[in-house]
Formats: sequence, C-alpha cells, structure tokens
Amino acid sequence: MLFFLQVQFSYGQDKFVLNGNVKDQATGEAMIRAVLRIEELPSLGVLSNEYGFYAISLPRGKYTLVVSQLGYEKYKERIQLDSNLILTILLKPANTLKEVVVESGRKNDNLLKPQMGTETLNLNAISKVPVIFGEKDILKTLQLLPGVKSAGEGNSGFYVRGGAADQNLILLDEAPVYNASHLLGFFSTFNSDAIKDATLIKGNGPAQYGGRLSSVLDVKMKEGNNQDFNVNGGLGLISSRLSIEGPLQKEKSSFILSGRRTYADVFLRASDEFKDNILYFYDLNMKANYKIDEKNKIYLSGYFGRDELGLGDAFGIDWGNKTGTIRWNRIVSSRLFLNTSLIYSDYNYNVKLKNGLTNFNINSNIKDLNLKQDYTFYFNPKNTLRFGFNSILHNITPSTFSGTVINSNPKRGRNGLENALYISNYYKASDNLSVDYGLRLSAYSLMGGDAYNIYEKDLLVNTVQLDKQSFGKTYVNPEPRITANYRVTDQTSIKAGYARNVQHLHLLSNSTASSPSDQWIGNSYNIKPEIADQLSVGLVQGWKNNTYELSTELYYKNLQNQLDYKDGAEIFTLADVESALLFGVGRAYGLELLWKKKEGVLTGWISYTLSKTERKINGINQNNWYNAKQDRTHDISIVGIYTLNSRWSISSVFVYNTGDAVTFPTGKYSIQGQTLYQYASRNGNRMPSNHRMDLSVTYDKKRKKRIQESWNFSLYNVYGRENAFQINFQDDPKDLSRTQIIQTSLFRWVPSVTYQFKF
Amino acid sequence: MLKKYFSTILIGIFLLGCEKEIQLALDPNQSLLVIDGSITDEVGPYYIKLSKSNSISASSNFLAMTNALVIVKDNLGQIDTLKHEKEGLYKTNKIKGIYGNTYYLEVQVADKKYTANATMPQKVALDSLRINPFPFNSEVRYNVIPVYTDPIQLGNSYRFIQKINDTLDQTFHVFNDNLNNGKVNQRPLRGGSDSLEVKLKDIVAVEMQCITRPTYLYYYTLYQQSGAGPGGGTTPSNPPTNIIGGALGIFSAHTVQRKQIQIK
Repeated sequence: MLFFLQVQFSYGQDKFVLNGNVKDQATGEAMIRAVLRIEELPSLGVLSNEYGFYAISLPRGKYTLVVSQLGYEKYKERIQLDSNLILTILLKPANTLKEVVVESGRKNDNLLKPQMGTETLNLNAISKVPVIFGEKDILKTLQLLPGVKSAGEGNSGFYVRGGAADQNLILLDEAPVYNASHLLGFFSTFNSDAIKDATLIKGNGPAQYGGRLSSVLDVKMKEGNNQDFNVNGGLGLISSRLSIEGPLQKEKSSFILSGRRTYADVFLRASDEFKDNILYFYDLNMKANYKIDEKNKIYLSGYFGRDELGLGDAFGIDWGNKTGTIRWNRIVSSRLFLNTSLIYSDYNYNVKLKNGLTNFNINSNIKDLNLKQDYTFYFNPKNTLRFGFNSILHNITPSTFSGTVINSNPKRGRNGLENALYISNYYKASDNLSVDYGLRLSAYSLMGGDAYNIYEKDLLVNTVQLDKQSFGKTYVNPEPRITANYRVTDQTSIKAGYARNVQHLHLLSNSTASSPSDQWIGNSYNIKPEIADQLSVGLVQGWKNNTYELSTELYYKNLQNQLDYKDGAEIFTLADVESALLFGVGRAYGLELLWKKKEGVLTGWISYTLSKTERKINGINQNNWYNAKQDRTHDISIVGIYTLNSRWSISSVFVYNTGDAVTFPTGKYSIQGQTLYQYASRNGNRMPSNHRMDLSVTYDKKRKKRIQESWNFSLYNVYGRENAFQINFQDDPKDLSRTQIIQTSLFRWVPSVTYQFKF
Repeated sequence: MLKKYFSTILIGIFLLGCEKEIQLALDPNQSLLVIDGSITDEVGPYYIKLSKSNSISASSNFLAMTNALVIVKDNLGQIDTLKHEKEGLYKTNKIKGIYGNTYYLEVQVADKKYTANATMPQKVALDSLRINPFPFNSEVRYNVIPVYTDPIQLGNSYRFIQKINDTLDQTFHVFNDNLNNGKVNQRPLRGGSDSLEVKLKDIVAVEMQCITRPTYLYYYTLYQQSGAGPGGGTTPSNPPTNIIGGALGIFSAHTVQRKQIQIK
C-alpha cells in the first residue's frame, strides 16, 4: 500500500496553476472528460470533470496545451506560464463522419483512464443505431455492449454482469431514478434530446458512487445552449418530442426544456376492439444554469414523467418519477473544485381497480432527499484527489390499500438514513501506470416511526417498536475500490481492479417481468445490506494507430445477502412482507470481448459475452445453486454504421443470445379434474435462443438557412424471427388428454419512420 | 390479477404478437404419487383419489394406484380404512366430516408411507350471489360476487369453484381476509384472459369452500404461477402441500355450499 500513498512533491521550482473550463464553442455546453495534455511533458495528463472544470499545476515555462475530445477538433494552444492562469477552452465540433457510438478508450488515451468496465455513449451517434419504434434510446443501445443484457425483447430494463435489474444505480443529473422505464419497459425514461452524456460503469465505480451492486449509469442532461436559441424536434409513429434551448443572458445563463409524448392510444381509440385501452406516457426535462461569477455557477434541473395505462374504467395504473437537483459549482481555489447538490427524487405508482360498485386502490411511494458535497482537488500533476459525503433520507411506503371493501391499512411508511463518506485518489505513477484507489464508507440507519419484526427460521421472535426521532439498527460497511492501468506499448494496455459495493435498498418483485408495481424496501433487522465483491482484469489492444481496438475483460463477482420470496408469498396483502422473504448468496463470472472499428466510412463493433450467473437461496431448489433468470451463456451484438456520403448512412444491428434460464415442467398430474404441472429443479431449462437483425437508414437533408432536417427509416426484426416472449403449457382444446406447448412472440417486422428537425 | 391486465394490454397493443405450438426437449420426469383427497361437511362417503404423475408428452389419462392402504382417522378416535372402489378412488365407510375436527390421512404404497392432516374450518354462510355488471370496451360484461360476511377473527380462507353453463372455470379463485377481515365480501370472481366470459342469460354455479391455510397456500401458489413466462407469473415450482412423504397433491378438510344464478 505504501506505493500508493507515495506522493511526489519534487518539482523544486516555482509552480503555477493553469485552470478553467472546457466548453463546446457552438453551444457553450461543458465538456466532460476532455483530455488535457502538455506536449512537452508527455507523462502528464488530466481530464476535465463532470462540469468541464480542469486544473494542472506546472513549473514556470512555455508549454503547448493539447486538448482532445471525441467528436471535436483537436485544440492546441501555446501558453506562457509565469503566474496562475485561467483559460477557457472552446472546442469546435468535428466533421460528423468520424463519430463512434461507444467510446471506452479514446485514441491513445487509455493511459489516462484506469477505470475498468466503463462505457460512454456518444449521444449524437446513437441516433443512427436502429431501435424499435425508431426512438433512439440510451438504455437500448447500452444493451448492445458486452456484459449488459436486456431484460427482454424491446425492454429498456437491463442486467449488468449477472446483477438484478434493481442493482443498477441510474442517475439523472445525480438524482436516482427508481424506475427507468416507460410503457412497461418498451421505452426508457431518458429523452435523448435532453441528454448530453451517459456513462456506464460495470461494478468498478469510483468511490464517489455507491448504493447499488452491479453498475452505475450516470446520465447528464444538457445545460442548454448559451449562445443561441435552438428548437429541436422529432415526429415518430408512436411518439413525438420537442425541445427548446437557449441563453437567458448570453454566456451567463441558459436553459433547456424538452418534452415527449406517445400517442399509440390515439390509434387504439380508432379500433373497436381496443377503444377502451389507455396507454401513454409523457415526460419533461428541464434545466437552467446561471453563472454568478467566474467562480460560482448554479444549476437547476428537473425531470417529470408519468405513465398511464388502463382498460376503460375497470382498471388503471399510473406511475412516474419526479426528480429535482440544485447544484452549486464553486471554484474554491485554483486547484480545488467543489460541487454541492441538493437532490429530490420521488417514484410512486397507483393502481385502480373498479368493478361495478366495488373499487380498490393500491399506492406505493419512495421519496429521497439527498445532500451531496464532492470536492476535486488537483493536488499536483500526478495526484487528483476526490472526496466528499452523501446523505440521503429515504421515505419508503410499501403498497398500501384503500377502497370500498377494505379495512384501513396498518402499514406505514418507513424512513431510513443512508450516509456515505468517501475519498479516492487518481494517481499517475508514471508515464505508463495510473491507479485510482479509494474507500467509501457507507452506513444505513433504520429510523423511527414503525415497528420492525424480527424473524428466525420463519418464526416471529421479537418486535422492535421504534419511536419517532429515534434510530434503530445502523449497518456500516467499508467499500474499498482500486483500479490500475498499465500501458505496455502505445497500443496495448492492461487493467485490473477490485471493488466492493453495498446496497441498502432492495426491489421486491414477484413477477418474472419488471412491472411498475414492484416495490422497494430498505434494510431492516432481517434484511441486511447486499454486498458484492468484484475482481476484474482486462487487456486493451489497438491496431493501425488504434483505428481498431479489442478490449477483453474477465470478471468474477461474489454476492451476499440476496433476497427472494417464498412460494405463494402475497407481497401485496401481507401485513409484513418480510415474513415471506428468503435470503442467500450469488456468484457471477464471465468473459467480455469488444472489438471496435473507430474510424472510416464503416464504424461499429462486435461484442461477445460468455458468462454464468447463479444464486443459492435458503429454501429454494433444496438449497442448491441454480441459474439466475438472467443467466445467458452467450450474448453477441454486432453493430455497423456505414456512411455513404454526407447525406445518407445505413446502420444495422444483429443480436443473438442464449434464452433465459426458466423452469419448465417435467411432468403433469390431475387434481379435482384440472391438469397441474410437476417441476423438478429451479431454472433448469432454457427459453429458445433469441436472435434478430434490425436495419436503419438515415437521410440528412441539405441544410436550408437555419433549418436542419433528417429522416430515419428503420425496420426492426428484418427477417421476422419469432422470438419467444412467453411459453405456456396447456391442455389441447381438441384433445384434452394431450398437453400443448404454446409460444407467444411479439414484434415481427416493426417498421418506423422518424422525422427530425432543428432550427 | 395485475399481470393478467398487463398481458391483455400488451398483447392487445402489439397486435404483431403471435402464438404457435412448439416442441421442447424437457427433462425426464420422476413419476410421483398424487393424492387428491377431501373431507367435507357434506354427508359421506368421501373419496381419496390416488394416481401417478406422468411426463408432459404422455397422455393425461393418469395411471390409477389401486393397491394402496388408505386410512383416515379423526381426533375423536375414529379409524376408517378406505376401500378401493375403482380407478384409484378410495371410499370412506364411517368417518363423518364435522367442522372443528381434525382428520389424519395415512397412505401406504408398497413400503412407502405418506401422511397429512387437516382441521375443518368453521362454516361461513354464503348468503347469495350478486351479479356485477361493468362496462368494457363499449359493451357490458359480468362477473359474480359471492356475498358472505367474513368472521371477526383473522385467518379465514375461501376457495370458489365456478361453473359457467356447466363448464369449469379453470382459474383458481382463492380469497383470504388479509385486507377485508370482518367485512362483507365485495370481491368478484374475476376471470382472467384464460377463463370463460360470463354473458347475458348464462347460468353461473358457484361452490364455496371454507378451507384451511395450507389449502389456501396450495391454490394461491397455483394461481400465481398461471401465465408463467416473461409476461408475468412467478417462477413455478410444486406448490407447498400438507402431505408429508414426497407425494404431490393436497389433503383438504373443508365445508361446501353451492348456489347458482342466471345473469339477467
């Protein structure tokens, strides 16, 4: 460890700090993770932070500063450093021909990035990747990467390295999003028009992130153009969107407002059979920022989304997220950057059932109030320290009932306080070796206002009544993290990392699909924090000046305190759902390959994952290991984008994966005249494997004055593969002594057209 | 319940969905003894049916177990050795079904012994059946509400068997009083997409059973598992049973009441 703690002070001469912001020249948007280098000192290099801020301390002298960022022209400037210098760097957007959708290591910049398993999506370029219904979607594009698996066809839910869907920390401008899907998963909550940047970290998150086991998806909204007004829009067959951005005061403040609405329900109303179906969602992203002075900037951002689904008066369900973030960026000194955030997040759902005179409602809700302080300290050119704290007050109300026929519900909301302290250092040990190491200390305290039952071997042994204003049990977990990157040659680097992640909130779901009615629950006396330890190693190899790149990662993950249900658990109506829970462990391991072509008229990637994911839960499968549902042995995605000329481009996606692990019956029997099925081991069977190909053509119209238009035509499932969505066993209606196996599939040949404009 | 609405809407929206029969290579089945037995408060005799489970691809005309020793005892000391009547049906001779009594079942097949017990719950009166019309896509649909008043003590469980014009509704209708303890029931027998529709003029016959907690758990688990697959349903398994010894099925002691109504 001594090696890591060693800090180099020795430069011996006067030192000055060069700092400032990196921005897009055309829009004024802050540039995240731009790479800054000094040509004369090749071993140095820093990255701009999430707000575009950078700082480098250097001895007195003349230097050439080189700044590079994907999708932008290289910036070069001669500087004379004989006092501290503030320099705003404006980057010019590059010719779009060279865009790459996914960027995990920029050209020759692997050196600067010790992060393992990190993928950043380029929002401009994902519009060319075909997706169902023609709606570009970061969550669906992410699923084409190794180690990331879709929760189902057309579904925006995802699993990372064998983790469950609730083990992904999804942040929208730092606010956790508890349900990232619209329309039962067919759309994600992210309107790509409002999004600047999305980064997925597969389990090796730096210490400033925490709270979920498998991954961090950090989504940043655009700040809004502070130079010029822009209107952006898209018309599709299923949904349309519009956004407006512009300066409030030029170069000082700006805003963006972006909205989206689906209208499938309009078509349904026209048909007799489905005219009472209600099905739509809308969402709204808002953000504004104000530069108080050179050292202080304030950001306000908000998201509001709602889904409505129903069948006439008989049934209705609506759900949605609300998030709000206030952030204050402060440059405390030339080398110390501070961001303070106050975040609010709210997810709730309501179910209404009406049946003649009877009506019945279910509501559930989770609310967070979150305070965060994050310091970036550019200690010296070799060490960048990051430290801070995060304190979240959770208020979780599990499903509560009301209605004409029901007793008042005794369930109350529970409060929990989640705290974290962290520190990490990005240490550039030499030209070739960089290390990011840190520690996060997380704690979760049960708070008063409710009774907590304690169960031992299915029996209620004690009840702890916690008064308001009092604290119950506190769980404290240290989470050490380290990743290292060693550059062997200009085109080869190796990486290794270890991370422990702890999760204090858990999603209870009793259906095999993700449903808006799944409910969150915090730690308690029975539910202990989930813990994941992940060990990974990787190799990145480039060819032809890194035009081609192959990255390989191997991981092994060990999971503790995993949750599941007993058979027949009534999660909605039980007075205490904890009495129906089972606990156990899990393990996941795999190999991920990603081969990319980053430049040229044809760009794209091939991704392959070979993996295994298992659980062992007391009380399930005779306490033996079994495949988790999302265990898919092989997972392949091929993405190609071919740019014919500046107007036309064609892209295609092919995916293949092993079917989910499921439980099929082995036999059947009869009780009271009805056929029932006999089962052996859990998840011992497989759904048929899935594969399909999608095609998309984009036409960019010649720019007329200010108006820029484009058309996107896409065809989902080109060869009409019937991928199994569901498999059921039933009596053959023609011969009741025979059992039929019926496969249901969705989505054969879904064409879509999207028109987009910008002025 | 929710998942049924979800899948109805899902399939409805994406008209592109299609169904077909497929073949699957399934794991070999271990044939087990199946016990299907009930003691009710109706006048005996009562029957215990024994059969063997079969593989999926085989016929659903299951093999009857005809050479078993079947004994039912009660907590009053009655011991009744059942007689094999035909096709695996074993008939009681003298035991009487009375609520509050506990019944003990013993089944011996070759050298294997299976046991179960069940205490018959109190009878809760089925007062009437109420027709419950509701609008649905500009037509009127119907279902039936069994009207009964749940007793004041918590822990009552019910099963309803519904026949529409003599056709059995395959949905497992089981209710408990978790939410409406002590109240008059207003919950209808809601058919899922896989059950029959109730139309005007139909005759709906309902059998109400006051059942034990294990019987409730057995049928509720089956209900949750119906419609398994990514579209809904929990991961299936053999439902929890009160039979000890490794047999499938359930031994139930319940009360029986029947009523029928014509939809008008």
